[in-house]
Amino acid sequence: MIERLKELCGISGVSGDEDKTAEYIIRQIGGKASVTRDNLGNLLVFRKGRNRPKHKIMICAHMDEVGFIITGVTADGMLRFAPVGGIDPRVVIGRAVIVGAAGFPGVIGTKAIHLQTDAERGSVPAIDTLYIDIGAQSQEDALSHIAPGDRASFCPDFLAFGDGMLKSKAIDDRAGCAILLELIDSDLEYDMHFAFTVQEEIGLRGARAASYSISPDMAIVVETTTAADIAGVEEDKQVCRLGAGPVVSFMDRSTIYDKKLYTLAFAAAKEIGIPCQTKTMIAGGNDSGAVHVSTGGVRTAAISIPCRYLHSPSCVIKIIDMEQTKMLVEKMMEKMAEI
Amino acid sequence: MDCKELLFGLTDTDGVSGSEENAGAFALSQLRQYTQDAYIDSFGNVIGRIGVHSKEKPTLLFDAHIDEIGMIVTFIDEKGFLKVGNCGGLDRRLLLAQEVCIHGQKMVPGIVCSKPPHLLNEEEKKKAPELSEIAIDTGYSKAQLEGLVSPGDRITFSGTNRELLNGRVSGKSFDDRSGVAAILMALDLLQGERELPFNLTVLFSSQEEVGERGAHIAAYDIAPDYAVAVDVSFGYTSDSPEDKCGKIAGGPMIGISASLNRSMSDRLIALAKEKAIPYQLEIMPELSGTNADVIAVTRGGVRVVTLSIPLRYMHTPIELLALSDIENTANLLSIYAKEGINHD
Repeated sequence: MIERLKELCGISGVSGDEDKTAEYIIRQIGGKASVTRDNLGNLLVFRKGRNRPKHKIMICAHMDEVGFIITGVTADGMLRFAPVGGIDPRVVIGRAVIVGAAGFPGVIGTKAIHLQTDAERGSVPAIDTLYIDIGAQSQEDALSHIAPGDRASFCPDFLAFGDGMLKSKAIDDRAGCAILLELIDSDLEYDMHFAFTVQEEIGLRGARAASYSISPDMAIVVETTTAADIAGVEEDKQVCRLGAGPVVSFMDRSTIYDKKLYTLAFAAAKEIGIPCQTKTMIAGGNDSGAVHVSTGGVRTAAISIPCRYLHSPSCVIKIIDMEQTKMLVEKMMEKMAEI
Repeated sequence: MDCKELLFGLTDTDGVSGSEENAGAFALSQLRQYTQDAYIDSFGNVIGRIGVHSKEKPTLLFDAHIDEIGMIVTFIDEKGFLKVGNCGGLDRRLLLAQEVCIHGQKMVPGIVCSKPPHLLNEEEKKKAPELSEIAIDTGYSKAQLEGLVSPGDRITFSGTNRELLNGRVSGKSFDDRSGVAAILMALDLLQGERELPFNLTVLFSSQEEVGERGAHIAAYDIAPDYAVAVDVSFGYTSDSPEDKCGKIAGGPMIGISASLNRSMSDRLIALAKEKAIPYQLEIMPELSGTNADVIAVTRGGVRVVTLSIPLRYMHTPIELLALSDIENTANLLSIYAKEGINHD
């Protein structure tokens, strides 16, 4: 699963440009399930199990990642860009990025600290004042390599470190995709629908179409969620913690989750002997927001891997949390099928 | 000698100010290709005498600093997060969520903590963090860090060397390993030369980023008559003042300033013209902000000049330069070593 996560994080797949991620997932599924790609680019996967469930269940993870889109090129060959998805402007400068389908490396810098005024040194520059430098000598030179509309992503720089930690860009939500692939690989008790969605980061757009097409009775959204268990954050503001198991949400900015499924998830965790936590702050949102109001309503649970520095080039998760999240989703699928 | 390979070799090592052992050892191994008379002094300076030295000849010093900016561990909190101080001029606007490397008992990767935006108010979102607010997440508990990381350990950016278009490269610590590379390449070009008109000495100096301290000490020991400080200077970007910048791939920047020896500047300009080496001028009103400032006032005084490699995004993990500027700097240095004496 970790090897797959590494490969998935290595792919550039900024919202609206998920083809390479989708192609990888299709290859990984091989002949194990039926796969269709819808008009938006969602992958809709049906995997036969040993039995038919009492309810139609959809398991969902998004393929896209936050990044940038090239909006123009300056006279001296620098690329202007805009963020795609919620990127914190504080984690943009001083980074390397990969631009366009050919994957040109570029860097985002500003004038040197020596040339900054005191006010400039203390403030974060707005993203629209920045540019990407790919080493082009002129506008013409730059345009011979890239075009406006090309996406740029952070560099993967996948790293295993510390006490079982992983770091890369796009762990949100390639970790969810990797878990779904593992489940598709496994011997399933019940028939299951899986949706690998597009454009989550710009407003849960893929999930809207996918949940209409699949039209499930119940759904599990497999995600990563903000963990703020870091230096300088008081305990009540930490949202969730690494190493404390999967995160089951009762409410966020997109969804008030199904109470019975919420309770069921904690019972399922107890049954398989893994820790489980909830999100202690009403913040963020995920594909559930689109899924639970789809068609005549879908009973939805969100099960997430706690992740530090979400939407930055350095998302950090703990391997055991990811493994236990997979275990919990697996158990929940069965329990939900039997309700 | 491959410029890129040499530069990347030099920048793959670490050498935050005051802890230049690894970078110094690598530079020394390179320097030993050109002289056996090379050593590291007790202050971390790498020093080598090139060719035959004699009392009759003036001594010429080529200096580039071996240290790089970085951080230093000051405290480990109860959860294992590291608090830090800066070594050199750190741009704190780009620290959050950066990957770093802590050089403890072994190399320990870490990520600079970044609070999620929903925990910040509007003002905090626009503010660069104070260094006192910076903490590093190693993924280890305090107990696990025991014997692995201690206060005083240095921290570098985990800059990956990257090749961009048009022979331009990007990475960490090009300031001033590119200067070290230029001097080593100049020595390569001088191989097989008969006796030079100078006693040529090379210095890869420590602690430049915290106040030019290594060069202060080494220049006293070396006692040069002439010195060229090879460092980086600002490469033009559209948000920078044009008059303070050189153009990337425009050739080395020859310094002219009140504190530099004008006849050395002029000699470099004349030699660059004569040999058709591209160059640019770097006009600085007073001090140069390089080791030239301290070398000049060593002992009874030293004639100094600066030769700078234009570099964008100085003091970041993504410093950017053109390899051709290092090569042209090496060319000009080697020619100066052969023909630099002007009997003024």
